[in-house]
Amino acid sequence: MATQIVMDRTGDTRHNFDATNTEALSKAEERFRELTGAGFTAAVRTSSGEPVVKRMFDPNAEETLFFPRLVGG
Amino acid sequence: MFKQLLRNAKQRLRLFLSECGRRARVLRDSLRQQPDRIDPSSRFVRGLHYGYWEREARGLELLKEWLSPEQLAQYAAKSYFEVTGCHSGKRYRISHGTAMNIHELDGAGRPRFGWCFTPKGYLVAGDVMLAQKIALETDERAALAVANKFPVLTGRRNTLFDC
Repeated sequence: MATQIVMDRTGDTRHNFDATNTEALSKAEERFRELTGAGFTAAVRTSSGEPVVKRMFDPNAEETLFFPRLVGG
Repeated sequence: MFKQLLRNAKQRLRLFLSECGRRARVLRDSLRQQPDRIDPSSRFVRGLHYGYWEREARGLELLKEWLSPEQLAQYAAKSYFEVTGCHSGKRYRISHGTAMNIHELDGAGRPRFGWCFTPKGYLVAGDVMLAQKIALETDERAALAVANKFPVLTGRRNTLFDC
């Protein structure tokens, strides 16, 4: 089961989906496009645990984290 | 005469406090039947269904999942962790918080400047620190491009003049 984690005011919202299911994968890709289009950054972890930013949807990613656009504080 | 007045006042006060207690109990029972209204945050921010501490805990749990073992140990011990900027190789200290919590370190590990950038919108501390960590480790230049630099007050001088 793959997961897309979206940071939000509740802490985060998790969308679990079956990556072997074509329809679920399509929905996940659409969510990826919507979020990145809205300014969110998508990141995944490598096998060694280092974060990597993803500009394109990765159907093999087990866990993708989305955080909002950065602004100066 | 004075004693009589005092006795009457005491009796009135007792009745008043008794009535207050009764009203407080009615209010408490009423709130218990509406759990959403008991959470103070949900009364003021639309869309919040979790309590403050639950949101904070969720954010910290997510942060801990993404920290390296060294960063996790450092955060557990000192409430901050250090990251390396992917472009410059500089070290940054991210302290627990949501704003003005990033310090660029010098070679000796002392804070030189502060950098302030956060994800847009209201996020809990764990989420903010995780976004800051990922930004510095994967796209340091872009993160610092939007960040505001602030001086670190040291014993000797204000680092603002070094900026």
